[in-house]
Amino acid sequence: MVSLADSGATVAPKKPTRRAGALNRFLMIVLMTIVAIWLIVPFSMAVLWSLVDPETGWNYPDLLPPSLTHLRWVEVWTTTALPQAIANSYMLAPTVAVVTLILASPTAYCFARYDFAGKGLAQLATLLPLVVPGFVLAIFFSSLIFSLGIYSRFLSILMAHCVLFLPYAIRIMTVSFGQVRQDLIDAARDLGASPLAVFRAAYMPALLPGILASLIIVFIQSIEEFAIAFIVGAPNFTTIPSILYSYLGYNFIRPNAAVVSLILVVPNVLLMLGLERLLKSANPAQTGVKG
Amino acid sequence: MRWRRTLLILALLTPGLGVILLMIGSVFYVAVMQSFGYYNLVGEDSFSLEHWEKVLGSKQFSRSLSYSAYIAVVAAIGSVILAYPIAIWLRRPFRGSLAISAVLKAPLFVPGLVASFLFLNVIAFHGVVNQFLMWIGITDEPIRMQNDRGAWGVVFLQLWKNMPFALLLLTGAVQSISDEVLDAARDLGAGSFARFRKVIAPLTVQAMQAALIIIFIGAAGDFAFQVTAGPTNVQSMAQYMVFLKDSFGRWNQAAVVGVSLMILALFGSLILAFISSVVLKSGNKW
Amino acid sequence: MFRTLIATVATVATASGAFAGGHSELLSKSWDEIVAQAKEEGQVSWFVWYFQPRYREIAKAFTEEYGIEVVIPEGTHEGNIEKFLAERNRDAGDIDVLAMGTDRIDLFDPTEMALGPLTDVLPEAPNMRTELGGHDGLGYAFGYWGNQTGIAYDPNKIADADLPQTIEDFEAFFAANPGAFGFNYENGGSGPSFFQNVTRNIINAEMDDWLSGEVTEDRMASLKPAWDWFLDHTDGYVITASNTDSLQRISGGEFTMVAAWEDHLYGLQVKGEIDDRIKYYIPEFGMNGGGNYNIVPANAPNPAAALVFLNWVSSAETQTAFNQVFGAAPMHPNADDSKALVPNEMRQYSTIWPGNPFNTEIRQAFVENVVLER
Repeated sequence: MVSLADSGATVAPKKPTRRAGALNRFLMIVLMTIVAIWLIVPFSMAVLWSLVDPETGWNYPDLLPPSLTHLRWVEVWTTTALPQAIANSYMLAPTVAVVTLILASPTAYCFARYDFAGKGLAQLATLLPLVVPGFVLAIFFSSLIFSLGIYSRFLSILMAHCVLFLPYAIRIMTVSFGQVRQDLIDAARDLGASPLAVFRAAYMPALLPGILASLIIVFIQSIEEFAIAFIVGAPNFTTIPSILYSYLGYNFIRPNAAVVSLILVVPNVLLMLGLERLLKSANPAQTGVKG
Repeated sequence: MRWRRTLLILALLTPGLGVILLMIGSVFYVAVMQSFGYYNLVGEDSFSLEHWEKVLGSKQFSRSLSYSAYIAVVAAIGSVILAYPIAIWLRRPFRGSLAISAVLKAPLFVPGLVASFLFLNVIAFHGVVNQFLMWIGITDEPIRMQNDRGAWGVVFLQLWKNMPFALLLLTGAVQSISDEVLDAARDLGAGSFARFRKVIAPLTVQAMQAALIIIFIGAAGDFAFQVTAGPTNVQSMAQYMVFLKDSFGRWNQAAVVGVSLMILALFGSLILAFISSVVLKSGNKW
Repeated sequence: MFRTLIATVATVATASGAFAGGHSELLSKSWDEIVAQAKEEGQVSWFVWYFQPRYREIAKAFTEEYGIEVVIPEGTHEGNIEKFLAERNRDAGDIDVLAMGTDRIDLFDPTEMALGPLTDVLPEAPNMRTELGGHDGLGYAFGYWGNQTGIAYDPNKIADADLPQTIEDFEAFFAANPGAFGFNYENGGSGPSFFQNVTRNIINAEMDDWLSGEVTEDRMASLKPAWDWFLDHTDGYVITASNTDSLQRISGGEFTMVAAWEDHLYGLQVKGEIDDRIKYYIPEFGMNGGGNYNIVPANAPNPAAALVFLNWVSSAETQTAFNQVFGAAPMHPNADDSKALVPNEMRQYSTIWPGNPFNTEIRQAFVENVVLER
C-alpha cells in the first residue's frame, strides 16, 4: 500500500494530465478495494453477529448464522441504559469540543505568534494531561472535584474532559495559527481593514481547517473517554463507553457487543462524512485564498 | 512596553496552559507522591523507596517498558510513513478524492474497543480469514492468530486507528504548501523524492511532529488493544499498572509504573519528534 | 490557588473514616421504621459489575414489593471499588450497596467504611453468610452469590471418562492434544484457580499449610517445581485474554477444555451466548470455590433503602431466582439450588482460595516465572 500511494504522490501534478488521471483512477480502485476489505468485511461480520438468533446461536461449523432476528437490538435497547447513555454522550462531547477550543485558542495563538523566554518549557507543559494515566487521573480528579464541592456530574466531566483534551486542541491550533501569513495581515491592515475584516481575510482561511480538526478530535476523544466519565459520572451519568466496557468486558456477549458497537459507530461515521465536507469547503486551496 | 507584553502573554496562556497546570499539576503531584508511599487510598502514609525498588527490580517492568516503547515507536513512525504519501496524493482534489479521504479517515471514529472487537471477530479461530485460507487451500488447520506473540495484531490495530489521525494533520499541512513552491522545485529539476525531502517535509515538519507526539503517547499508554488483541506473555505499561492495582491492590507500585509511563510518554515522544525534525530539516539546504 | 488545591487533596486523602458511623442512629431503629424510611428515600443504587441488564430485570420484583426504584449502573469491579474508596470522605456518596469478590474485603477496614454491624438489624441476617470463601465480613459484608471454578469441556472432542482428573492426566492430555487447553491469568480468577491448584498438587502441600496467607522467601522458592512444570508443558496450553475469551473460544470450536466459572458459563448458556453442548466438571485435584459480598458504604445516600435491598437480595426467593437465572450457588439455606452444572457429589473437590498476601503473591510469581518466560 505504501508503494502504491507513493507512486501516486510522485505523479500528482498541478493540472492532472490524462496519464495521471488514469493512474489516479486505477489507484483509487485499488485503494477502495483495500479499504472495502478493511471496513466492509469487519462491519458486515458485526452486523451478522448482531442478528444472530439466541435460540440457535452461531457456532462452528456453521458458515453463516442458521437464523436471523432483530431481537438483540430490541433487547439491548430496552434492558440497558443505552438510550440515556447516548443522550448523555452526545450532549457532553459537543460541549467539551467547543469549550476546549475556546480555552485553547489564546494559548495556541501565543505559542504560534510570540517568542518569549521559557516558550519551549511552556509547550512541553501543555502535554501534561496526556502523560497522566487515565484511571489515576480519574480517581484523583474526582477527589479534587468532591473536595471543591462540585457535585454536578455533567459539569465535573466537562471540566475534566476539557483539561484532558486541551493538549490536542492547543497543538492543532498552534499549527493553524502558525500558518496564518503575516504578509496577508500586514496587507489587510495597510488597506485599512477593521480588526474583524483582518481576521476574516487573513486568519479565518488558515484557521478554519484547524478549528474543525480540533473540534473533531476533541469530540471523538470525549465520546470515547471511559475512565473519567465512569468514575466521576457514576451512577446517574452513564456514557456510551461505560456500556461498551461492560459488554466487551466481563459480560462479553458477542452479539450484544456487536449491537452496541454498531450503535456507537454508525452516528460517528455519518458525522464524519458531514464534517469531511465542511473541512473540504474550508480548504484554503479551494476557496481561492492563495499565497 | 516589556511589561505590557509579558502581561499579554501571561493572559493568553492562562485559559489553556494555566488551567492545565492547575488541575493536572495537582493530580500529577499526587501520583508521584503516591509512588513514594504517600496518598494511599487506604493505609498509613510514609516516605519509602521500596515501591520503586520492587518495581524497577522486576523482570516484568523492563519487559513492559521496552514493549510499550516498541509499540509506540512503530505506531507513530508507521502511521506517519503510511499517511504522508496519501496526504500528498490527496493534496489536489480530483474526482473521488473526497470519498477516499472520508473512507480513509473512518477508523478515526471507531472507538478502540470496537476496533478490537471487529478485528477479533475477523481473525477468530473459525473466523472469516481462517475459513478463507482453508477454502483456498493455504492451510488445512485454522491458524491461531488471536493474541499473537509478535504483537502484529496490536501493531495492525494501532496503524488502523492512528494512520487516519496522521492523515488528518498532514493533509492540512500539505495542502497549505503553495503550488508555486512545488513548481519552482520541479523547474529546478528536483525529482519526486527530492521534492518531498527538500520542500514538502521541511514545510510540514510541525504537523508531522504533532502527529508523532500524539500517536506515540497514545500508543505508549495503550490499554484496550493490548488487553484484547495483544500477546499474553507480555504486558503493556498501562496494562501492567492496572494489573498491579486491580489484581493485587498495590497502588504504590501501580503509581511507580504510572509515573514511569508518564516519563516514557513525555521523553520518548520528544526524542522522536527531535530526531525527525533533525532528519527532515537536514534536507532544507538547497 | 495551586497550593490550596494540593492541600485540599492532601486533607481529603489523609483524613480517613471521618464519616464512619454517620448513619449509626439508623441501626437502632426497628425494621418497620427502616422500611418506612426506605420507602421515603425511594431509590437505591446497587453497584455490581456483571450481568447488569439481567439484574435490572430481577430487581423489578423489589420495586414492585417496596416501591423503591433500583439503579444498577454500568461499571467494572475495580472501578466500583475505587469509586467507593475515593468517595469515602464525602458526606453522602453515590453508592448504596456495593458488590465485590470476597477477597476485596481485605482492601479496606469494613468496620470503618461500611455500615454495620447488621447482624441484629436485618431480619434475614440469621440466614445470611458473613463468613465466605475463607474471608470474614464481620457482620458488615454478606454473601449474596456463591461460585465455583472448574473446567469447561467440549464433549464432541473429549469423552467424560477421559477427562483429566490428576496432574498426570493433564500431562498426558497436553502431550496428546497440544494447544487444546486454555486458561487466563488476569481478568478473572478461573485461570489463577487452575494454576494455584496445580501448584499445590505438584509441591504436595498440606491443605492447611497451603491456605495460610503467610509469604516468606522459602515458601515462594518452594514453588519452583510448579513453575518448571508449566515451562515444561508450554506447548500443552494456551494463555487466553480473559474468562469470557476462554468461553467464547471453546464455544467457537478452538479448544477442548478451558478453565471457567460455573455461574459464568451457566449464565451465558441460558442466554444462548455459549453453545449448550459445552459441559463442566471439577477435577479431582481440586478447584477453588468462593463468592461475592455486598456491603453498604458508611456514607450511602439512601441507607435505609440499602438495608432493605440487602435484606431482599439475600432472601430465599431472590437467591432461588439467582440460581435459576444465573446458576449461582444460593447463600440462603431455604433457597432452591437445583440449577447447577455439576452434580452435588462433585462439589467435594471444591477448595478455597489461600489467604492474602500469599494469594496475590503466587499470582505475581506465576507472571514473573511462567508468563514472562514462555
